Amino acid sequence: MERRLSEEDAAFRQQMRDFFTKTFPQDIRDRWHAGGEVGPDDIRASQRILNEAGLAVPHWPTEYGGKDWTTLQRHIYLHEMQTASVPPPLAFNANMVGPVIAAFGSKELKDRFLPATANLDIWWCQGFSEPDAGSDLASLRTTATRDGDEWVVNGQKTWTTLGQHADWIFALVRTNPDAPKKQLGISFLLIDMSTPGVTVRPIQLIDGGHEVNEVFFDNVRVPAAQLVGEVDQGWSYAKFLLGNERVGVAPVGSIKRKLADAKTFAATVRSGDGTLLDDPLLSARIAELECEVMALELTAIRVAGGSTEGKPDPASSILKLRGSELQQDVLELVVDIAGPSGLQWNRYDGTDLESWTRRAAPTYLNFRKASIYGGSNEVQRQVISSGILGLRG
Amino acid sequence: MDFTMTDEQKALRSAARELAARHAPERGEGDVPVGPHDHDPKTWTAMAEMGALGLPFAEDVGGFGASPVEVSIVAAELGSAGVQTAYADALVAASLLVSSGSQSGLVEAVTDGSALVLPALTEPQRAWSQTFSSMTASQVGDKWVLSGTKEPVLCVGSATHLVVPAQTNDGLAVFLVETPVVSGARVALVETPATLLLDPSRTPAALAGAVNLGIVTLAGEALGAMDAALSMTVEYLKTRKQFGVPLMKFQTLTQRAADMYVSLELARSTVLFAAMQLADHPDDAAIASRTKVVVGRTGRHIGQEAIQLHGGIGMTAEYSVGHLTARLTAIERTFGDPRQHLAILAGSVRDHAMVDVLS
Repeated sequence: MERRLSEEDAAFRQQMRDFFTKTFPQDIRDRWHAGGEVGPDDIRASQRILNEAGLAVPHWPTEYGGKDWTTLQRHIYLHEMQTASVPPPLAFNANMVGPVIAAFGSKELKDRFLPATANLDIWWCQGFSEPDAGSDLASLRTTATRDGDEWVVNGQKTWTTLGQHADWIFALVRTNPDAPKKQLGISFLLIDMSTPGVTVRPIQLIDGGHEVNEVFFDNVRVPAAQLVGEVDQGWSYAKFLLGNERVGVAPVGSIKRKLADAKTFAATVRSGDGTLLDDPLLSARIAELECEVMALELTAIRVAGGSTEGKPDPASSILKLRGSELQQDVLELVVDIAGPSGLQWNRYDGTDLESWTRRAAPTYLNFRKASIYGGSNEVQRQVISSGILGLRG
Repeated sequence: MDFTMTDEQKALRSAARELAARHAPERGEGDVPVGPHDHDPKTWTAMAEMGALGLPFAEDVGGFGASPVEVSIVAAELGSAGVQTAYADALVAASLLVSSGSQSGLVEAVTDGSALVLPALTEPQRAWSQTFSSMTASQVGDKWVLSGTKEPVLCVGSATHLVVPAQTNDGLAVFLVETPVVSGARVALVETPATLLLDPSRTPAALAGAVNLGIVTLAGEALGAMDAALSMTVEYLKTRKQFGVPLMKFQTLTQRAADMYVSLELARSTVLFAAMQLADHPDDAAIASRTKVVVGRTGRHIGQEAIQLHGGIGMTAEYSVGHLTARLTAIERTFGDPRQHLAILAGSVRDHAMVDVLS
């Protein structure tokens, strides 16, 4: 066991820190740090800057831009990026469809899609959940029927995050309705959103934002070559993807950034003769969150998270579960710190309220999603109890 | 940063595991002892023989040149097997002896197990403090005498010496008392002759380092106890049948077992890191306090749920899971409880923007 960073890793960290805090454009970082709804232009610009620096898809195979880093280096990279408030590479591209195409796609698919995916020349969105297929994803009903050299897709997807900006969607579709198990007849299909028959409808969320969508497919014709891997094998690719997604959603650096911000905020809120940061109950709560976030970070470093050899590591469920809970706890703390100032959500001229107080409650409400997406936390507990503890229900 | 054990550490773990298995308390029907254990000379001798008692101290002061990492490995095996010893306390005392620089003979006797030196830190009806002692020290000629009461001092009946913090005119100092007269776990001194180990200028740092070592030792033991409590619980859910099916068919139970696992893994990361950190920085009070908070909360969570998920059998003295919970309950409140350590940490949240674990 060794606590200290090797000289190589220490130099690596410095290199990451310098890039994210000195080279990367400050104005994009400032907007990301301020929070709220971030425009697609900043996300696109950020990913292209990262990609040019070789930092958009370091976990991909080296021939498509990967860096062959250690788990620790990957953690350092994410940590430094997130604490510097750099918009991360779009998860749908970098963490979801990219690794699936790289692992299971044909050479032709890889060459066609991976460079454009890494550079966000294609904006991907996710077509997994359906109105009747949430946690029970394998019961999905969107169908793809073979017709010559094409698949004809019919059905409906939902909770498609940022689908309004997307160029392409990766979708799970049922290609064999007669398979003996519902998991067996599913395929992984890449669909151009501009194909006739694709309709996107926004869903407004409780924070007022437009982040997720419904996507409808009405006789959408998709070239057969856009099916990833083998037909009817999509479920195993989806599980691989979800294993990766769980790691992506334990954003230790972002949580630490927000917790540090919470202290800064608390020090500006007057309370009695001092500030909220002088309140022993509040500072104890901050101290406790710091302990828990530290434990999470150490665990992220310790367990080999992510999918290995095509299978999700069940340990990634720990990171998803605790990562989402702590993210929510910190955002809840910020609402508490905002106090009565947080009762006002709208922006208007001539206000004495600071913008973080206005955003506190909507952001808190928005991130209730974190324990639902990427496999709800109840599903993660199921993965842990059956996959790790061997408790077969 | 690397959390994997070296081959030497794995060998130490196997040796400790065997030792713990040999000396594990027997459970079963009949009158089973509950609560804090008395000192067991056989276990202690075996620990001395494997080198456990001098592990974290440098070789030139009579130790074995290992670190808190190795201590926590040994402690985890003891905790897992439910072997209760005065290991953490003895290491606190030995650390103070080593700090004094004047007790090489006694340090040697401590590491070979021929002397049992324990710290007398707690006082009746007083919250934990490592910076306060109502024991008073005064000089009679060139000799020191101590007066006051410390209680409870566990296993004190078997101690050959005590290390006692006491108040002098110049502040808190640490003294050595030989062959103390005790009653139960009570140490009542009345003008008892004592040897000055550490004067007030050196006492705070030495006490802090010693208590940090005690904290990480107990954290290791707690980790082992939590590991055992969870695996017993999981096994029980697989085998115990109700309504004609194994308990693991009920998600209300398996979801809670999953939460226990998550808590345990976060605590494991914390304990391993704390041991490594204290090996490099023995006086890092913040990591010791954070460890107390994380392990205290986790021990409570896992201990309580282990009993609840077992049901009635978990309440019985003949079954070990309740003993593990009892031990976790004691550990949580030794060397300060999570509330006290949180209060310390709360006082310093302004001093850093973020907690940095990578350096």
